[in-house]
Amino acid sequence: MIKDNDIISPYQITAITIMTLIGVGIFSLPRELAEAAGTNSVIMVLIGGILSLFVMGILVTLNCRFPGKALPAYSGEIIGKVPAKVLTFIYIIYFTAFIGYEARVMGEAVKLFLLSNTPPEVIILSIILACTYAVRGGVECIGRAMEVFFPFLFIPMILIMLPGITDADFSNLLPVFYGLPSKFFKALPVMALSFSGYGLLLFYVGFMKKPKKAYIYASVGIAIVTVFYMLIVVLCLSMFGVKVVEGMIWPLLSYVRSVNLPGLFIERLDGVMLGIWVFAVYTTMISFYFALTYSLSCLLGTKEQKQFALIMVPFIYLASVLPQNFAQVDKVPVYLIQYFGSVLIFIVPLLLLIIAWIRKKGGSKNEG
Amino acid sequence: MGFFKKKEKDTKKQDKEQYKNKQQGTNEKKDKEKIACKLSLDENMAIIKRILKDCGDVIYKDFAIGKNQNLAFTIIYIDGMSDNEILLNGILRPLMLHSREIPPEVPKSGGKLYDLIRYGTIIASEMDETTDINEAILAILIGDTALFIDGIDKIIIIGTKGWPSRTVEEPSTETVIRGPRDGFVETIRMNTALVRRRIRDPKLKLKQMQIGRRSQTDIGIFYIEDIAKQELLDEVIRRIKTIDIDAVLDSGYIEQLIEDNPYSPFPQIIATERPDEVAGELYEGRVIILVDNSPFALIIPTTLNSLYQSPEDYYDRWIIASILRLIRIFASFLALILPSLYVVFTSFHTGILPTKLVLSIAASREGVPFPAVIEAFIMEFTLELLREAGLRLPAAIGNTIGIVGGLIIGEAAVRAGIVSPIMVIIVAVTAIASFANPSYNLSVGFRLLRFALIAASGMLGLYGLMLGLILIIIHLIKLKSFDIPYFSPLAAFIPSEFKDTLYRAPLFNMIKRPISTANNKTRMKNNRNAIKDKEGWEDDDQGQ
Repeated sequence: MIKDNDIISPYQITAITIMTLIGVGIFSLPRELAEAAGTNSVIMVLIGGILSLFVMGILVTLNCRFPGKALPAYSGEIIGKVPAKVLTFIYIIYFTAFIGYEARVMGEAVKLFLLSNTPPEVIILSIILACTYAVRGGVECIGRAMEVFFPFLFIPMILIMLPGITDADFSNLLPVFYGLPSKFFKALPVMALSFSGYGLLLFYVGFMKKPKKAYIYASVGIAIVTVFYMLIVVLCLSMFGVKVVEGMIWPLLSYVRSVNLPGLFIERLDGVMLGIWVFAVYTTMISFYFALTYSLSCLLGTKEQKQFALIMVPFIYLASVLPQNFAQVDKVPVYLIQYFGSVLIFIVPLLLLIIAWIRKKGGSKNEG
Repeated sequence: MGFFKKKEKDTKKQDKEQYKNKQQGTNEKKDKEKIACKLSLDENMAIIKRILKDCGDVIYKDFAIGKNQNLAFTIIYIDGMSDNEILLNGILRPLMLHSREIPPEVPKSGGKLYDLIRYGTIIASEMDETTDINEAILAILIGDTALFIDGIDKIIIIGTKGWPSRTVEEPSTETVIRGPRDGFVETIRMNTALVRRRIRDPKLKLKQMQIGRRSQTDIGIFYIEDIAKQELLDEVIRRIKTIDIDAVLDSGYIEQLIEDNPYSPFPQIIATERPDEVAGELYEGRVIILVDNSPFALIIPTTLNSLYQSPEDYYDRWIIASILRLIRIFASFLALILPSLYVVFTSFHTGILPTKLVLSIAASREGVPFPAVIEAFIMEFTLELLREAGLRLPAAIGNTIGIVGGLIIGEAAVRAGIVSPIMVIIVAVTAIASFANPSYNLSVGFRLLRFALIAASGMLGLYGLMLGLILIIIHLIKLKSFDIPYFSPLAAFIPSEFKDTLYRAPLFNMIKRPISTANNKTRMKNNRNAIKDKEGWEDDDQGQ
């Protein structure tokens, strides 16, 4: 009998990594990359993926020192109880803002393309409430949800995107490597944004029976995401060219709209794409949402996390309606993820690892 | 919230304590209820006649035997529940006729006479003795015969169970084209025999108990000792033992009382009429509950995947079986979302469909006074109405209802301009698709959810449909059947079990039992290589 209460399997770590990383950003990713790196975008995705592997290594190493514990629990061991609570609180704010941002972008996109007469508040609130249903199921429910949504997201998405290859002009991708160093640092924050989701490994690896397996399985996840991002960027850039992509809000949607298959039952694929994209947003949201409620339960010292799911709904909703218009929404990632999020996901774990190493906290025999 | 939690726990604790007290109470009661058998036959008869007062179908047959007719006997049985053949030739004839040949010097009372009757005279394969009158009465109620002898404080119980029962027939709900045709009947003994015939293994165990304070219904729990997991068996028995009900009329009672989530539209326990399916599930380490008076056996645990498996899948060749299974999965998907897709595409996102199709839909909808949501609701509701009406009527009239409903109402509704022809097509396809599911209970669940999805897509379009699907998936993921995740083995993903999910691997490749339910993993050996191991074997696999 499977007794998997509060335990997630290695496969689920792969699925969590993939589904958390792929969120609202995929529609705008080609534009952001094209603005920052031009024709070097594809290379930048690859570099971003490889760098992510290293950062992921740091996160998992940190987790492996404290098997069976997630960040809020072991940060107390490393830096003391009170600073750890402050740190957890900061994470909570970040997660709340991030979920709010995801919900808002989705609300805007759905309103723009699917439901022009529906107030976005309805869309935002409904998705947040739908998230609470999954989050109340605990970490095993999150893990299983990721596994199930993975094929539901990927199979149709790739089926929709691939036919466009016939219209692509691959000379649009050239020249590669030209002026790469100067654009490298400009494009790095974009990559940090697109790959920031795996910071949640700090939480999820703690629920694994054998945290060391996370190295391989999370790497596979990051590799799949990297390939997927490359596919998106290649398709969009080769279809439109750098200059056109820079001017589009959501190049991927425009790309899918221009995919034309004669004789197909469905004429405009962008609507379908948006429908499937709801899965991607939803999984990212529940992934962050669980980390949020789990952090809250650690902060307040309760046994269960599920009672916080509904309590947080107004806060997340508030965070999502804070930006006044879409122009502001588009700026959110800059402040929220590139600065705030990067510190929390790339720098804090590194510092924690160094402190843990110096103070010799956690099992050193688990290192490696 | 924390406070509520605590309170809930407290009430649970109280429940537990109450339950414990109750159990102790029933134990005490049982002790009290024991009525010792008296030496005098008349006294015993008085007691029994008091308890079985006004039970018109109980037969008391007094007779005397021995050379001098000085030994008084009484047999008690229920008319119609006992086998007359055994009664006549097994009990009465030897006692009344043959015993006359016994010489009179046999002691009138004492162990010797008793032993002679118990072991030497009565011809029956099943015999027992008791000193408790209540136990004897229970045996009589089951269909056995109790023999009281004057001067002896023991009761002989002779197994004479035998009542009219349906013969083994082909089950009406789960028909297969290829495979055995026998189905369970209402008698638990016959059902256990049907299962035992397929598993000639001493490791096949049958635990029996009686549930129902008044009905005393026999329940049999089948499992194969070294395959089924002990935790699962313990959990099943624990849950069954918590049942305290006056009567169990069908296995549906047990199913509802022990399932994990009673508020879910999905069945968490399969009920089947097929002994071959039961045997197959036993070999996979599952536990089977048989209930007397019910031709439906319960299979525990159940996953969504196992609801899509038909026993036929394993009898057909694997390519056919795999394709059929894919069709089934696709069908239930269609049955779930097709009407909502119609609503989405006609009232919200007409741009998604090709222009020509949109135009033809719009032309056919011209004059239909309702929005697509209402149209879908009306037609789907009519369909459910027809289905229910057809079920209740005798088969001959049921067919008429189908024709009247399907053809005439559909045609007339279109002519009258209430619904569009495309909606009729969609309803028809949905109906066919929902019948393609091997599990009736599952398709009922999907039918219910279809209405919820129509409502969701009527309010929020494609986004609403997606949200509805997400909620259904999350519900399925959260569900568990006896600690096995309902979506297993797809989530939590178990690669070795994938062979029997979306497709059915070739039989020689299914070497292992499903690990989530079974111990003793290896089921078979791959014999392909052994077959090929012959001179002159031409191997087509090499692609010549």
